[in-house]
Amino acid sequence: MDRFNPEVKQDPLEDIAMLSMEFGRWLMECGASGAVVDEFVARVAAGLGADRADLRVGYASLAITVGRGAEVATRMCKVGSPGVNQRLDQAVRTLAQQVEQGGLGCAAVRSLLDRVVQETPRYPGWLVDLAVGAACASFGRLLGVDWRAVGPVFAAAALGQFFRRSLARRQANPFISATLVAFVGAVGGGLGARQLGSHTVAAAMTAAVLLLVPGVPALNAQSDILDGRPTLGSARIVWVAVMLVFVTAGIWLGQLLLGEGR
Amino acid sequence: MSMDYALVLHQTVFGGLAALGFGVLFNLGPRSLVWCALCGATALAVRSAGLERGWSLEASSFSAALIVGVVVQLLRRRIGVSRNTLGVAGCIPMVPGGFAAKAILGLFALTSPTLENPDSTLIQSLVFSLRVVFTIGAIATGLAMPTLLLRLRK
Repeated sequence: MDRFNPEVKQDPLEDIAMLSMEFGRWLMECGASGAVVDEFVARVAAGLGADRADLRVGYASLAITVGRGAEVATRMCKVGSPGVNQRLDQAVRTLAQQVEQGGLGCAAVRSLLDRVVQETPRYPGWLVDLAVGAACASFGRLLGVDWRAVGPVFAAAALGQFFRRSLARRQANPFISATLVAFVGAVGGGLGARQLGSHTVAAAMTAAVLLLVPGVPALNAQSDILDGRPTLGSARIVWVAVMLVFVTAGIWLGQLLLGEGR
Repeated sequence: MSMDYALVLHQTVFGGLAALGFGVLFNLGPRSLVWCALCGATALAVRSAGLERGWSLEASSFSAALIVGVVVQLLRRRIGVSRNTLGVAGCIPMVPGGFAAKAILGLFALTSPTLENPDSTLIQSLVFSLRVVFTIGAIATGLAMPTLLLRLRK
């Protein structure tokens, strides 16, 4: 099936392969599951003029083979650290749907993609810090933290998120960063709760670090396995497990310092 | 079995707030944040009601995730946002992070030279680990089922 306008000059398959994977890379880094990445990369490749696209979604890399008639090209690209950015994810998907309609060349699509990546808004850092503080305080209540500890959990989690952003700007290793943030959050939450006479100091220490629990990768791991991508799912599970160990190490160090949890 | 409605309401409100906070962290758009909070509140309402009825945490979490997944699919035209992301963000308050921390802290404690009850510590740690695995599995399966069924229908 000829999905593109014959008037439009056909782009080289290498360019189509690299640009399609660029969409996949952004989706992966924004927290999409393997099935979503696969679907949208195929749609972009089709829109750019490939007859077929076979994508391999790995944890740290993507590999694609695109074909047009007898021509075939295979390319690979790295994927950065996993994160969650829903508005960028949505903007990339919307652009992919636009590209799928056909009529856009690689140069135009690349320019649109660059613009989407640069112009997608983010909330200001201070607002994210406060929102994370509120989320962890709410988590605290769900875990049975008493009212006296809610304020300290809020403050410690917000401080932890501020610290996490600072470390991310310095491109610190995410696992080491998790331990440091967990330590700061746990000690802050625990000390504050103790000062205010809380009876749930240990729970407050845990609640203040729940911002670090990798919930989205954990759920994506299961989805990937259910979708028939056990390799990607397993890699995500290993990442989640190691992250949890490093987060818990921070809580453990905090408990040692405050003499809690024995 | 009687239900503690005040507790269910409490969990619903804080589930919604937790999802809202995580929605900001995940950079959901302002309109999607409202849906995210509603998903979180629904999830915690269903899970708490299930727990109050005597269901296990895993069964309650599965039911909650399934209902969130169905609601998100039914409202997909109005929501105008990536449905899977919204469902995941709404179910984040149910991810048993506290249990995961307790499980790993228990494993750390096993290596302590002054440990008094290694057997009970190990069993407790194992139980927490299994609950984490089963609960996350239940949430992800519950969320994925409506999408997978919809794909089958197509």
